[in-house]
Amino acid sequence: MITIENINKIYNEKTDNPFHALKNINLKIAKGESVILSGVSGSGKSTLLAIIASLDKPSSGKVIVDKELVSKLPDLHASAYRAKSIGFIFQHFNLLESLSVTENVIAPLIPSGLSMREIEDRANQSMQTAGISHKATQTIRELSGGEKQRCAIARALVTDPKLIICDEPTANLDRDNSLKFIEILTRLNELGKTIIVATHDPLFDSLPFDSRVVKMEDGVIVG
Amino acid sequence: MNEVLLSNEVIVYLLSEALLYLLLFLAFMITPMLIKRWNFDAFTSEQFTLEKRSYLVMTIIWFALILKILLLPYFVYTIDRLSDIVPGAMCAAGIIKANSYGNPLLTLKITIIFLGALWMTLNRLDLQAKEYPYTQQKLWFFISIFVLLSVEFGLDILYFTHIETTNPVTCCSVIFGQTAGMNDLPFGLDIHKLLILFYLLYALIVCMTFMEVAIGVFLSSTLFLYIAYYSVVYFYGTYIYELPTHKCPFCMLQSDYYFVGYFVWGLLSVGIFFSVNYAFGKSIFAKEFLLSKKLSLFLLTLFILLCSLYVAIYYLKNGVLL
Repeated sequence: MITIENINKIYNEKTDNPFHALKNINLKIAKGESVILSGVSGSGKSTLLAIIASLDKPSSGKVIVDKELVSKLPDLHASAYRAKSIGFIFQHFNLLESLSVTENVIAPLIPSGLSMREIEDRANQSMQTAGISHKATQTIRELSGGEKQRCAIARALVTDPKLIICDEPTANLDRDNSLKFIEILTRLNELGKTIIVATHDPLFDSLPFDSRVVKMEDGVIVG
Repeated sequence: MNEVLLSNEVIVYLLSEALLYLLLFLAFMITPMLIKRWNFDAFTSEQFTLEKRSYLVMTIIWFALILKILLLPYFVYTIDRLSDIVPGAMCAAGIIKANSYGNPLLTLKITIIFLGALWMTLNRLDLQAKEYPYTQQKLWFFISIFVLLSVEFGLDILYFTHIETTNPVTCCSVIFGQTAGMNDLPFGLDIHKLLILFYLLYALIVCMTFMEVAIGVFLSSTLFLYIAYYSVVYFYGTYIYELPTHKCPFCMLQSDYYFVGYFVWGLLSVGIFFSVNYAFGKSIFAKEFLLSKKLSLFLLTLFILLCSLYVAIYYLKNGVLL
């Protein structure tokens, strides 16, 4: 599903102080596979996620997702690709604090052209999968950290993406909530979603489902 | 210093033109490198850098061209205001003829606006595709436009520095009025035949657009622009001024006539642009520019109605035609 070939990312490329964030990365991820990108801060995990998600362009190299050359997508197409194919889960949740859980979850579907009925049905379904249905009407600022993360999961699932990208999803969660998050990931894995998680949380070293750990260090895959 | 160059409008106009020219010059400086090294199939660091740089250059060009479009009516407004300080001038018509640079400058500006708008269409098509298929073409197209922009900027300077406030210029009644003679109409037409041609060409544009004959739309639109100009100046304008001897394309831009000239000429030129744009997309890129199609028909119909309305209102009010 995902082929990454010779990806390099250099920040401040034409200055006296260039930073080589990714060095000649090659990686293949099959459909339905779960990959854990592990490594300390600054090892290049988030940069790699951003390039796979077409949030950023590499300095050189190719990223192909489902036969689509995403590393070269013009902005207009990159936005459509993200909206259609990817569900994002972030460390800081990136939710709209003053809106309710349901409103946050349906937000990605508003430009989809679906009927409100269908949007609500999909939102209910993804809130149920993420285990946040009981808080549907509450605003985000009334939720705990774990509940916010479950709301973010529901929002990521509502467009039924093939690929789920999580960037340090448990960094702001306690152990119990981190375990609950892993439980939900297990369910998503069973649903056949391709999952990529960038994390340095040791809980991800032994997951209850088949997964591959890819270790990164100084912008290089080391294992 | 020449009094004209101290006019607020001229200062603002020339400064804006200079800034835009500078921006476009910067874009132009990068263009040859982009053309030479562009290779979309490469995944090298250089190609990724070129793609980012190309996006920046296109954004600069797009922004500058949009402002150039807005500057055209401001240019007309500026020269209209100069009629207050140039002896003999009643409106922009006298000022544009104040020296030999005026008419070529106005013609060049209109040409650049049309070409610039077509460039923007090409740019949009390029950005909508995934592989930037028209990048090379639009860069070459920009170079051609930039040559014209350079000539235009030179003419701008020459034109405004050569308007004398001591020598009287001719007013519009001399330029377009009866003293100029009626043989000013194109193809030796009289006013009745000109009007018949005016409405027939409009009908032809509508038919060609619905029949989706691109070349027909292009030819009829271009001819309509030419005929419409004469029809407005020599017929419809007299109803706007309510004076059979007043034939001028510029006076209607003044507050005395509620600035209606901006609507008349705006509807005509924008309508024709969308019409040509539709033909351009259909014939060259085999794309259906539905919005251009609808807008061209809407704007040209509005133009026809606006022109005809002045005649109808005059007739209803006075029971006679001019």
